[in-house]
Amino acid sequence: MNAYRIMVIDDEKIVGDMAKMSLEKDGYMVETFLNAEPALARLREQKFDVVVTDLKMKGIDGMEVLRTVKKLYPETRVIMITAFANLDAAIEALRAEVHDFFPKPVKIKELKASIQRALGG
Amino acid sequence: MKNLAVRLKDILGLRRSQAGPVFDLLFSRFKEVLEENNRALEIITDMGDKLGGDYLFDIAYLETAYSKLSFAVRDSLFTFDLLTQKRYPHLHGAVDRVESSIKKMLYNIATSGEMVVFYRDISWDTSHEVGGKNANLAEVRNYLRLNVPDAFVITTHAFDSFLGYNGIDKQIEVLKGGEPQESALRQLRDSVLTAKIPSETGRVVEKALEEMKSRYGEKCFLAVRSSAEEEDADFSFAGQFDTRLNIPPELTAVMAAYKEVVASLFSPRAVSYQRQLGYPPGQMKMAVGCMAMVDAAVSGVMYSSHPAGDANTLLINAAWGLGSTVVEGRSDADLYVLEKKADPEIVDSRTGGKEVMATAGKERGIETIRTPGDMKMMQSLTGEQAKELARQAILIERHFRKPQDIEWAIDRKGKIFILQTRPLKVDETTGSSLSAFRIVPRRGIPGESADGSSDAKVLTRDKGVVIQRGVGAGRVFIARHPEELDLFPKGAVLVAAHDSSDYVRVMPYVSAIITDVGTPTSHMASLCREFRVPTVVNTGNATGILVHGEEITLDADGEGNATVYRGIRKELLDSAAARSARMDDLHEFRKKRYILRYIAPLNLVDPLMDDFTPEGCKTMHDIIRFIHEKSVTELVENAQEAKMRSQTLVKLDISVPAGIVVIDMGGGLDAAEEQRSISLERVSSLPLRALIKGMIHPGLWKSDTVSLKVNDFLSSMMRMSDIVTDNATHSGYNLAVVTREYLNLSLRFGYHFTTLDCYCSETARNNHIYFRFAGGATDITKRSRRISLIATVLKGYGFSTKTKGDLLTARLSTMGRDEIEVILDHLGRLIAYTRQLDAVLHDDSAVERYIKNFTVGNYDL
Repeated sequence: MNAYRIMVIDDEKIVGDMAKMSLEKDGYMVETFLNAEPALARLREQKFDVVVTDLKMKGIDGMEVLRTVKKLYPETRVIMITAFANLDAAIEALRAEVHDFFPKPVKIKELKASIQRALGG
Repeated sequence: MKNLAVRLKDILGLRRSQAGPVFDLLFSRFKEVLEENNRALEIITDMGDKLGGDYLFDIAYLETAYSKLSFAVRDSLFTFDLLTQKRYPHLHGAVDRVESSIKKMLYNIATSGEMVVFYRDISWDTSHEVGGKNANLAEVRNYLRLNVPDAFVITTHAFDSFLGYNGIDKQIEVLKGGEPQESALRQLRDSVLTAKIPSETGRVVEKALEEMKSRYGEKCFLAVRSSAEEEDADFSFAGQFDTRLNIPPELTAVMAAYKEVVASLFSPRAVSYQRQLGYPPGQMKMAVGCMAMVDAAVSGVMYSSHPAGDANTLLINAAWGLGSTVVEGRSDADLYVLEKKADPEIVDSRTGGKEVMATAGKERGIETIRTPGDMKMMQSLTGEQAKELARQAILIERHFRKPQDIEWAIDRKGKIFILQTRPLKVDETTGSSLSAFRIVPRRGIPGESADGSSDAKVLTRDKGVVIQRGVGAGRVFIARHPEELDLFPKGAVLVAAHDSSDYVRVMPYVSAIITDVGTPTSHMASLCREFRVPTVVNTGNATGILVHGEEITLDADGEGNATVYRGIRKELLDSAAARSARMDDLHEFRKKRYILRYIAPLNLVDPLMDDFTPEGCKTMHDIIRFIHEKSVTELVENAQEAKMRSQTLVKLDISVPAGIVVIDMGGGLDAAEEQRSISLERVSSLPLRALIKGMIHPGLWKSDTVSLKVNDFLSSMMRMSDIVTDNATHSGYNLAVVTREYLNLSLRFGYHFTTLDCYCSETARNNHIYFRFAGGATDITKRSRRISLIATVLKGYGFSTKTKGDLLTARLSTMGRDEIEVILDHLGRLIAYTRQLDAVLHDDSAVERYIKNFTVGNYDL
């Protein structure tokens, strides 16, 4: 059986660790990255069904991840999570066709529901 | 209908309290403290939630939440200082201390810097300094309160300093490049074995040895054992590092053993194992534990879950003497298989040949001797010992949330000691429920039990408020009074009428908690989250539905409310374990959660205990609790003063001769300013109304003065001079200071005095009742009987009580408004009922009789 692939990018290890653990329990294949550069490199060689990314990161930020993903795989859904509930950022992300936008701390159950919606479930 | 002018003044804030501005100010500060405390408690609750494993959070959240909490606590402290006129200066030191610990955790600089730490002083945040194995054992000792031999740890700081002092750190640095050669490792081990101990380390170890000797005498031999970082925490490292047994308590001998243990970190086998776990050589630090040897009659190993068979059974291996023969598998030990339940049962046992046994050598080390003939085929454990070991294994497994591999010993006096506990390696391929990932189907569909079996009877469904999610099962223990907790069996489900922070005593052992009433923000609620005890409160009538001693399963693992099933529902327990255990396995998650250790736990449980001091405050929650308790005290004391100064009083016009006059601080009476007396209907103070309603309850006042015996009469005469005055106005007796939500009442009935202070608002955790009862006209024996009667009744309502001679003080907090009103009604009846009761309490049996009468509403004397 082919499981859905999910990528999680966040510069704090705990976010990736917790997301991986809870999503794998639901049968997803999860890869986590602490910054965007290697994540985008990985994306160029492997398509992911959903990308969950932090907005504010050193170097390449979440908006750029979003744009790159959309260019590479228009059907891949991107979910943005951020520590700062910033309205401007949210509007910009929505314009760039983000699937969902969550302020941290984000309830894992809600994230899962959002991923399910992204996958058409 | 309130007089218009008064209402206008109320609205405009012009109506000056008749008790004077001082108490007014005090009272408004009291309310401010409550609000600030609430703000702080809400943040604490939120942090517990967000860090509970259901949310993705980051450090930014922790920083923001902590900073909000800090502001709230500091605000509360500021107002508290104003309220008490800085009566508790040391509380500032406590806040600084706690905050500094939190900051250290938050910014990852937690370290005590100690070279030597005793087990009693190890807490979660310092666990990395003592290594996983010692940290685990310290938890078994400090949290589970099982017997662990006294021990101290030579920490990772001492390790760093030892390597640095001898230049070994540089030697290691060179190794990091590639795969280390065996010869290089041998050289490294030699360097360790011949290295010098830094004088500072030597000095503190010497001191620790002195302390051990002062406790156990010169014969205190030690086991010197490795405890690397992460050892026994995430990885078991079983048998990777060395242990030295039976070392005499002399510095040279201990330090030699220390070096041998440290050197084992660099054995080819250990290095290769570290590499597999992602540790380059030299990165892992080692702490070393020095533990008093147990003079063991029997010892062995137990697995808290059968690693290959039925996971609902556990295994015990036991042999005569020291445990090394069992650990190393050198002797054919006795085997016991027990069913895991509240009262474990031996389902299988086998007597081993036990050809050899290990004993302590005369000078040092271990000797293996032939087992004396008659002991070989004798079982080394009694049934009761096996059961008690099983109970402890179940407890330890539940605490660490993983099956455990436990070393234990029983000394010659029959006392059980836990010597080591580490995660049991369970074969992932066997599909044991504890190692498998499982997605659990949703449960709780009405009318359908999870396993479809018909005997799975639902006792209550979708009742109550879930405090801590999870599944817990065991025998019901209905606790009516806090003292009954002494009898609480390990692993039982606690069922009680109210929530109470008294229950902290059984938190490590309790499987689940269910109460009739309670709130999610109470002190007990925080404790349950802290100890991760599945808990549901406000179920309405759990104490009525559940039967003492019956086996039940609480399922509070789903969304929404909780369900209680009859019997032990193993499949629910299993699936909950599969879901919940994993997040705890994440090292990052555990590390970040540590911060809660300084925030959420409540150590200051009982205001009547000696450690209820600023110095006793170890967490933010403790500080808030301290502030709350002392603010109430301040209010009680000043309310008395306010009465003395008061000029204008309103007499309470009720059907019984209680002679109560009232001072309204605002919203307590629906009266015109000039009114001199008032009927109960116009009392709008909730607590006063409720109390008086109880006091005038039919049947309480029909008896006339109970005849005093001659002795009682004399006794009362002798005490007259202190108390007799009919001028209530300024004597301070039979006066009530009220607001809509507050009552402070001082009553004199007959020859006894009652003080009652109560805050009764919509917010349960703000509420309190303080009750004080003293005196009487009869001799001290009868008066004491009455005190004991009142204390018993109050405990039944959930009060914590303290008696000294004929003085009783009782406190109760965190109660919903409706409930407070019911309790006040009953207190009113109790006050009236007991006003002359001492005169008829001729013997101790009468106490019980009258308690029974009171409980059933028979108020005849």
